[in-house]
Amino acid sequence: MLSRRGGYLLILPAAVIYGGLFVAAAIYFFTLSFWSVRSFRVVADFTLKNYVKTFTAYLGSAETTLLIAVAIALSATLLGFYYAWLIRFRAGSWAPALLFIALITLFGGYLMKIYAWKTMLGESGAINSALMAVGLIDRPISALLYSPAAVIITLTHFLLPFAILPVFASMRGITDAEIDSARDLGASRAQVLKDIVVPRARPGIMAGFSLCFLISVGDYLTPLLVGGKMAMFGQLIAPQFGSFFNWPLGSAMSFSILAVSLAILALVYAALARIGRP
Amino acid sequence: MSVTTPAGVGSLRDGLSFRDLAHRIVGGIFVLVLLSPLILVVLFAFSDKAISNFPIEGWSLRWWREMLDFEPFPTALLNSLKIGLAVGVLAAVIGTMAALGLVALPARRAQLAMTIFALPLMLPPLFIGVMLLVWYLFLKLQLGLGTVVLSHLLFTLPFVIIVVYARLASFDFRTVEAARDLGASPLRAFIDVTLPVIRPMVIGAALMAVALSVDDFVLTSFTIGGGNTLPILVMSSLRRSVTPMTNAIGAMLIVSSIASTLVALHLTRYRG
Repeated sequence: MLSRRGGYLLILPAAVIYGGLFVAAAIYFFTLSFWSVRSFRVVADFTLKNYVKTFTAYLGSAETTLLIAVAIALSATLLGFYYAWLIRFRAGSWAPALLFIALITLFGGYLMKIYAWKTMLGESGAINSALMAVGLIDRPISALLYSPAAVIITLTHFLLPFAILPVFASMRGITDAEIDSARDLGASRAQVLKDIVVPRARPGIMAGFSLCFLISVGDYLTPLLVGGKMAMFGQLIAPQFGSFFNWPLGSAMSFSILAVSLAILALVYAALARIGRP
Repeated sequence: MSVTTPAGVGSLRDGLSFRDLAHRIVGGIFVLVLLSPLILVVLFAFSDKAISNFPIEGWSLRWWREMLDFEPFPTALLNSLKIGLAVGVLAAVIGTMAALGLVALPARRAQLAMTIFALPLMLPPLFIGVMLLVWYLFLKLQLGLGTVVLSHLLFTLPFVIIVVYARLASFDFRTVEAARDLGASPLRAFIDVTLPVIRPMVIGAALMAVALSVDDFVLTSFTIGGGNTLPILVMSSLRRSVTPMTNAIGAMLIVSSIASTLVALHLTRYRG
């Protein structure tokens, strides 16, 4: 076994990368939000106008974004909970295969999934053409693509593994004996779910929900490619670092939406903590 | 079906219950929905038609030929491979070092350190992307493949550290001490004793890092400064009109990332 000093020495390269790229960059990025831009140059001063602008000019878009992100996080977490529950309690010998599929879809394919949904949801896409071939509809449903629904479907699909895996990890700790004894003592399936499974899986549910929520709040590609006219907050942030060249405003927008998102997550935690409490 | 659960007992008594059947059907739909977008991209890459839809009337390799003739394709492929390889090797070396260092610390402190290392994974990639862009420009770094590799290390290192640490946590370090007592240098002891034990995890985690790196679009597009990678090609064709050639590039990305993930999962026995 290494000495403790040797241990810290080995961690050093990773810590330098983390500190030099993440911590230092975050501090600089935060400082930037109080600066301003004059004639296409970033000027170091102290102003709150970027935050004022964020909370006046972009409030509507922020509201839409947060609502959609809540919808996505809710659907991904609920579906993910069910899938994790299937793996843990119902799938039996199929469990490793189901888990494997969730893991495969976790690594890789973010852009390809958006692309796939774009081709699938279009008027001449796979879903419409399949529905027409079966004879369920006569004319393609045009509202499938370029709508908030398309964004919710696409992101829920992309984020499902992010919800499944933490929830499943927290369900692993529940033993069959606990469930069996509760059932033997007369608890209904619903009671077992409410009083044992959900409270024990709570850390995983919270982790999954937070991950899905935060990624949705900051996503800009999905609404850009399948969302049509709607504009989510990330679509307003990204151009501040490109064509609009207003880094301080972009930074203030990023930190504002992050702060509001964390506040919403705190509320969700408080609400979730009440479930299953005797 | 676990026979110890009440439902299992029920199904032994009266065969497959309605409830079990319903769960099976819904589970099947889940699997179908999870996998079908990926399967369809691969399927349509071999379709003869110019539109990606059903029915597929004939099979052909024309989109693959078009991809090979596509002028920016070779550079994009090469860039993706360069970045992926560099990220895989660097993340494996630096991450394994960190994991070795962390096992020397008290478990609670090591867990805390790993949670902190994993923080960049919890933030939206857009925030990390723009944050790194302005930071690199502040440092006056030349944007290019190098800055992309740095950016990718930030979100691939935690995977390597966590996977390798998990194996080391149950490793009997007395074997290393024995080697040292018999006169092996620290490096010799590491190469002959520790490395063979953790090698599958290191390689597997490196493959995960490669898969994540090759797949990344957001961080890459903000920090590459110009130049193409495969996801950037996919994105630019997505913004213009979609041709089925994109299916071919996409199919290649999907198959390679699933293949490396499969090998990685097999080697590391990582299960979430």
